Formats: sequence, structure tokens, C-alpha cells
Amino acid sequence: MILAVIPAFNEEKRIAKVVAAAKGFVDGVLVVDDGSTDQTAAYAKEAGARVVRHAQNCGAGAATMTGIDAAHALGARAVVTLDADGQHDPKEIPLLLRPIEEGRADIVFANRFGRKNVIPFVRRLFNGIGNVLTLFVTGKWVSDSQCGFKAFGPKALKEIDLRMSGFEFCTEIVRETTEHRWRIVEVPTKVLYSEYTLAKGQSFANGIRTALRILLRSFLR
Amino acid sequence: MTLTPYQIVAPIISLLALAYAWNLVIRKKKSILEACFWTIFWGAIAGIALDPSVLHYLSELTGIANQENAVIVTFLGILFFMVFYLVMRLEELERRYTKIVRSLALREAGLEGKKEEYKANKEDKEHKEAAEHA
Repeated sequence: MILAVIPAFNEEKRIAKVVAAAKGFVDGVLVVDDGSTDQTAAYAKEAGARVVRHAQNCGAGAATMTGIDAAHALGARAVVTLDADGQHDPKEIPLLLRPIEEGRADIVFANRFGRKNVIPFVRRLFNGIGNVLTLFVTGKWVSDSQCGFKAFGPKALKEIDLRMSGFEFCTEIVRETTEHRWRIVEVPTKVLYSEYTLAKGQSFANGIRTALRILLRSFLR
Repeated sequence: MTLTPYQIVAPIISLLALAYAWNLVIRKKKSILEACFWTIFWGAIAGIALDPSVLHYLSELTGIANQENAVIVTFLGILFFMVFYLVMRLEELERRYTKIVRSLALREAGLEGKKEEYKANKEDKEHKEAAEHA
């Protein structure tokens, strides 16, 4: 069974569309409602997703880990994670799953910079800083380490153990790949930025906070 | 150079303590940060034992030549340690809180269990391996 895991926080405007689009490419969709104060959970359920709800907002990392644990408990052999704001095209889920199905990878990273995508300069800069920080704390270069569009194979699903609760979990996933020696494949994908996704994304202050947390938690780990 | 008994014993004890601390890091029972602190502490003990004139050098370097300066620097050090300790405690509390929220969510969805079983088995295995090595 292949499941899509979508961590979501106050995404009532987009969640139903994302769930409906993803449903066609996986056996089931799991939405982790990370303490939303709007109708995210209700709309996701209505669109056909199974919903797991955090009582309080804990962050994207915690929601992703809850989704992966839930998928594991449901017997999933592979999981695809994607953002709830609709910036990833669910039609590309099979592209991400292919290396896992062919036995070439334990984890597949989408690479938004591997194709001609219209990405604002600030986003490119933030992602570049994220990549360099990730390289600094994990020793591994991933072209788009901060992207939420990933696929996990059976080995990765079994061994993953995320402790970072915020956006810094993306760096922690790279650390997990080195710690457990997962085979990595990177797949160039589309990205669909809109005013909505740009407004929902990380602010400058949030980016700095995430960077500091990556450093602090890497040191404390 | 003639070494006093203290100059021989102190570095040996420091080396043993450091080997023990880093062994705990390898067995994942101590964080790298804690081990770094112990390394600095025991390194200082060994260094001062081998070359007591280091203290004079430190006094000149820091300008702590009188008691007033020493008191200020000491209190700054204590404050720094307190802030650092608070940050660590906050991180720990946030981690525990997140764990509770996640467990509750999985329990409510009727999906709690399998991953925890795997983790518990993994930890058991690690403990057994550590005990065998010891």
C-alpha cells in the first residue's frame, strides 16, 4: 500500500483540491491536521482523506512524523509527503515513487531547481542557505533539502525517527539518510508558486529561527 | 623536567574520564555537547597540572588581575550557563509536549503502537549490545 501524507495547518482553502488530486496516484491519503483553527480537517475528510488531528500546533516536522507513524501503522510500504498549499503537482507522485519501486532508492527527494521553474529570488536564496546549513551539519549535499515533496521506501519508513518539530525537520531527514545509509535519488519536479503559496511560506524571521534551530538542535542531539 | 606525582596522576585521571565520556557518546547515552564540556573541564585540569604557569598567562590574557574583575567574570559565566541551561530545558519540554500531542493524535485515530514497538525493540537491542561490549 502506498499512502500520501499531507501535513496541514490552516489550509481550508487548498486542502480539498490537493487531496482530490493526490488520491488518483496513491492507495490512500492521510492528512495530519496540525492544530488548525479553521475547517482543514473537515474539508480533508470530505475530500476522502483519513485525518489525524494534533490537538495543538506542533510544527511541520511533528505533523510529518505523525503522518509517517500513522502510515506505518496502516501497513504502508511507501509514503509520499507533499505540502498542503498545492505547490507540488500530485501528477508527479509516480515519478518520485519509481526509484523506490525499481529498488534503486530508500528515499527520493524532489528537486525544484532541477527544472526550469519560476522561483522567486528570495526563495532561491532561502533554499540555498538551507542547503548549505544542511551540508554543514550533516555532511551531505542535497540539491533541494528543504522541499516537502519526498518519497520514503520501506527501509526509510521503518527506520525514520524525527525529533525536530518545526521546518528544520527537512535537515533532520538528510541526517537520517546518512545515519541509516539510505540510498538517495533526486528527481527534478515542477513547482507551482502562487500568491497564496508565497504568502503561506516561511517569512525571513521564520527562516532565521529555523536556521538557528538547525544549528542548536544539531549540536544538542 | 621532573614531574610531581600530582602531575602524573591528574592527566591519567583526565584521560580516563575523557575516554569514558566519549564512550558514552558512542553508545548514545551522552550528547556530543556534554562530552565537549567534559573535554574542556578535564583538559583544563590536565593542562593546569602539567603547566601551572598557564594560570599566570590566563590572568594576563583576561586582565583578571584583581578580585572585582574576577567576581564580574564569574557572574557573567554563571548567567551564561543559566541561559544555556534554560534553553536546553525549553527544548526538552517542547520535545515532551510534542510527543504527547503526537501520541494523543495517533491514539484518537486508533493508530498507535507499531512504530513504538519497533523503537522499543531497537532500544532493547542497543542496550543489549552496549551491555555485551561492557
